[in-house]
Amino acid sequence: MKVTVFGATGVVGRALLPLLADHEVTAVSRSPHEDAGARWVVADAATGDGVASALEGANVAYHLVHSLGSSDFEKQDRAAAETVAREAASAGVEQIVYLGGLGADDPDASMHLRSRRETGERLASAGVPVTTLRAAMIVGRGSAAFETILGLVRRLPVMITPTWVSTPTQPIALEDIAGYLAAVCGNEDTLGEGFDVGGPEVMTYRQMMERIARLLGRTPVIVEVPVLTPYLSALWLNLVTPVNASVARPLIEGLRNPTIAREERIRELVPLALTPFDEAAQRALSSEAAGTRG
Amino acid sequence: MRGWETSERVLESGGFESRQRVLVDVPVVDASASGARTLGVTYWRTVERFTRGTIRATWSGDGGRLKLLGGATLLSFGTAQLAFGADEVHCRHEVRGGLLALRGGGTVTLAQRPAGDRYELSVLVEEYVPRLAARTGSPWWAGALYLKGQSPFHAAVSRRYFDLLVRSGPV
Repeated sequence: MKVTVFGATGVVGRALLPLLADHEVTAVSRSPHEDAGARWVVADAATGDGVASALEGANVAYHLVHSLGSSDFEKQDRAAAETVAREAASAGVEQIVYLGGLGADDPDASMHLRSRRETGERLASAGVPVTTLRAAMIVGRGSAAFETILGLVRRLPVMITPTWVSTPTQPIALEDIAGYLAAVCGNEDTLGEGFDVGGPEVMTYRQMMERIARLLGRTPVIVEVPVLTPYLSALWLNLVTPVNASVARPLIEGLRNPTIAREERIRELVPLALTPFDEAAQRALSSEAAGTRG
Repeated sequence: MRGWETSERVLESGGFESRQRVLVDVPVVDASASGARTLGVTYWRTVERFTRGTIRATWSGDGGRLKLLGGATLLSFGTAQLAFGADEVHCRHEVRGGLLALRGGGTVTLAQRPAGDRYELSVLVEEYVPRLAARTGSPWWAGALYLKGQSPFHAAVSRRYFDLLVRSGPV
């Protein structure tokens, strides 16, 4: 099967590529890139440059692109999705696989989560069946949300946190989300369907921070206060973590929404053995120590 | 969403039973642990939204607390007990105490079950002993606080909860 992966140099894209080894893969990045196992092409979904040729002959297209960090990320993500949808339809693509966000259906969803939902809708707008996997935080090196939490735990012995630390979430290991993405490739039962994809454990962000701290041999004091706005939180994160404020703010706003799976149909369709959180986090920490990503 | 009903009674044990329910055409959660958990998470989220964050639920490994302005614990709960099957999907919490409970005991159950050709969504509080309810020896205003305050507040939260579940979309 011929597969085109947009966002191939991202955290999820890099983890996915080796799992698509049985297919003829075209990996797309915005700047020239070379790596074994795929044909690399340059294209930009946001501007449309090179998208048509990247999709030529493809049966399946993965849309793993986002513009988080740009001030107008919703607009850019919308444009990119419309471009990919249109060009995929022209190229006769049979399936678009999209990684969306859990919690995006919440009527009170943050701008970031609403944008993830809208991106999925735009991808389906030209008639190519879309398979949407909705995930919460991805636990792996380079994942912005995971790096944010890790940065907080690492750098602060005492954390003054906003109330989002009590929001429940269902993080998933990078390897597991990549496994699900690979498994739905060409799977007819998933065409036009959306699936909640959660990890094996539900926890609050506070519990997550405590568990990461334990892995790091730390015992931070976490004090929850009701007065920290997302704006102040993002500035604070910019100061104390490696994550840029423009990336952190939409993420932080999204943390007020519970991000847990509402259904488990994907587990019947793709019976993966899911990685426990501590194991996934430990793996991410080890890959950091080894100087590898993903 | 139709068939809204709310009722309340005092049980022989002295505990209260409060029940709210609506009927929906299609299930809002599926019969799985995730579906059951969603019933619970959505309920606590509704409390926060309804009170505009004045009352928030905080959770740890051994249960949760409803806190007023991040301080006083109004009610504390055990961890979620999830159950699911063709007959019912539910999330149940044991009431452990807090300012609004005279003593620990009782449960809160958020459920979805088939009802004819529709589905019933319900909130059931059983064997809860509210501190504010009227009883022998308590001040006259205590009963009024429950009847005019806590009880209608709970029913209003339940109604909003059903609305939020339905608006989140069927599975």
